[in-house]
Amino acid sequence: MAARGPPGARGMGNRFAQFKLVLLGESAVGKSSIVLRFVKDQFDSYRESTIGAAFLTQTISLDETTTVKFEIWDTAGQERYKSLAPMYYRNANCAVVVYDITQASSLDKAKAWVKELQRQANENIIIALAGNKLDLVTDEPDKRAITAEEAESYANEAGLLFFETSAKTAENVAELFTAIAKRLPLDQSPRLGGRGERVTLAPESANTEAGGPCAC
Amino acid sequence: MDSLSDTIWDVVICGTGLQQSLLALALSRSGKNILHIDPNEYYGGPEAAFSLQEAESWVATLSDPTNQNNAGNGGVFRAASITKPEATSPALKFSRSYSLALSPQLIHSRSELLAQLVSSRAHRQIDFLAVGAFFIFKAPEDLDHKAVLTRIPSTREDVFLSKAIPVKAKRGLMKFLKFVVDYDSEPQTEAWQPHADAPLTEFLRKEFTMEAELQTYIVTLTLSLDGRISTRDGLAIIHRHLSSMGVFGPGFTAIYPKWGGISEIAQVACRACAVGGAVYMLGTGIKSMQTGYSAEMELELELTNGVTVKTRRLVQTDEPASEKVVVSRLVSIIDSPLNSLFAAVVEGAQKPAVAVIAFPSGSLKTSAGKTWEFPVYVFAHSSDTGECPVGQSILYLTTPSITGSKEVLEQAVQSFLDAVSGEQVPHGVYQLYYEHLGGPAGSRTEGQVFKFPAASPSLSFNDSTLKVVREAWKEVLNEAATGADYMAFPDREGAVYDEEMYD
Repeated sequence: MAARGPPGARGMGNRFAQFKLVLLGESAVGKSSIVLRFVKDQFDSYRESTIGAAFLTQTISLDETTTVKFEIWDTAGQERYKSLAPMYYRNANCAVVVYDITQASSLDKAKAWVKELQRQANENIIIALAGNKLDLVTDEPDKRAITAEEAESYANEAGLLFFETSAKTAENVAELFTAIAKRLPLDQSPRLGGRGERVTLAPESANTEAGGPCAC
Repeated sequence: MDSLSDTIWDVVICGTGLQQSLLALALSRSGKNILHIDPNEYYGGPEAAFSLQEAESWVATLSDPTNQNNAGNGGVFRAASITKPEATSPALKFSRSYSLALSPQLIHSRSELLAQLVSSRAHRQIDFLAVGAFFIFKAPEDLDHKAVLTRIPSTREDVFLSKAIPVKAKRGLMKFLKFVVDYDSEPQTEAWQPHADAPLTEFLRKEFTMEAELQTYIVTLTLSLDGRISTRDGLAIIHRHLSSMGVFGPGFTAIYPKWGGISEIAQVACRACAVGGAVYMLGTGIKSMQTGYSAEMELELELTNGVTVKTRRLVQTDEPASEKVVVSRLVSIIDSPLNSLFAAVVEGAQKPAVAVIAFPSGSLKTSAGKTWEFPVYVFAHSSDTGECPVGQSILYLTTPSITGSKEVLEQAVQSFLDAVSGEQVPHGVYQLYYEHLGGPAGSRTEGQVFKFPAASPSLSFNDSTLKVVREAWKEVLNEAATGADYMAFPDREGAVYDEEMYD
């Protein structure tokens, strides 16, 4: 409930857009930790592997009048759950593909996910590549297995947003999601602003009552 | 990581069609060990929705006699083919901008399915769209006239205002609509029960002195595939239709989920079960089964990927019943948005994304010149459904499958396009044809194996589907199934919803 703006937040001239985001990447690269940092501003060093998938939401303000809500699908990275991914990236507007900058193989896996997204997901999907665990190399640069230059040049080539992040220190986590939000076509949000053409599954009489005295 | 073979699964669910997926949703908070597999490489089984590329490989797979996976659809499809007129195919867009539904169904607002989606919180992931007007195709009276589509009035006010119905006929229709409101209580039951098994059309003629045209209006609202629905079934469906009107907003009686209809519900249900910890494997079916393997009577299943798993229960789909219904379906992509079909029926109502058009029995002819004795139903979907790009639309046609069905459906597309268009007649730029088998059947239990009936090719969602899902749920949970908490879940932690933002 904390993320909810004041009731009057969506007044005249305010924009509200909602997008579906999916996280993909090898097991133990920190997908869930990035989400936990973004959604609850917390970090847990001993987080257990995600089973199946998790669903969370977070709302951010791009500027005084623009609010973007992310519906986040955090998927399990383990191989046994790989059949799940198509259900999550189907109709997703954006994806964060995560790798671990201290594990060389995790970038290969990330590249495979990017390829699959570009082949199977929405034509206009926004993909961000996130090299996580930046905190691990701050004190021990030797731990780094993938240079920022290498990953960035790949990201540029493939048309991806790119950040090196640390879910532990929060470095670049908010920046990552803000950059995605800025690149999304806000006017094409499936649920932009008013009620649109979507049917709300509440009986019509209840809708009317909810309207209260302000029957506008 | 423990391997699939080391786990003793509480249930293995095979297939991701609607029934299996709803079972997965029902079990998603049960804490049971669930392995959910599908022999197909896609979700949704017989209710799947395909991109053009997926449709192509589906047709190729169905046409391949050596393919074992055809049983993955419960063997419910056959004779599939794709036609693309060369001159117009440049109009086709990117493969994934299409989502062609194999079994499009309307869901009436009063359907228990919607209540269950709300109580299980799965509805939050689905965008529901309004189903708008029902039209009747009227062939031209002579060569100087054009064929027209007449909207069926579906409320009493509508009937009153309609110019298409003669005043005299209105009286009979009004009387009937009033009768249906509580047709299932005394004294109405006395009027129809003696005719329960006779055709609805006969009942309408005898009891309400309705003429053929008005009978057609009523039968169309039932979406009866052969037009020969019984009085008992017909009255039940008309009652559902009328009582659903306006429940979620003015002017519409049914809804359709965006991005491929029932297929979207199946995927949302599977996702919910995955969040609950189930393991999902596509492209994996069951090769063989051994019962009574151990003292605990677990089943041993050899999967098509070579892995052998042990489970307490198996839930799968039965073969189509022997007294099966076969329908012919044609999906046609049109290079026009067909805007006139998707106008809001009532002022201030949601803009509908689906329109229903019926060619009454006898209004089409086969290529051999024989009168087509069945109705042809057309579901027109606008690009708001997310099933085609903006500027195009999709027609889903259905009629009983006998010799000549395909030609009749193709002819129906042309007659329909002629009737809705002005000077410029839109074109069908892509056509997918197939036959769909299904039929009346119940679930079966054989030892630890629960079998869902093959999905029916019905045009509107039938709540009896939910009954078998609940039976399966009981079977899996055993004594833990109390019933009170069936499909009733709180929102998951971490998800914040703020509906007022949409209102």
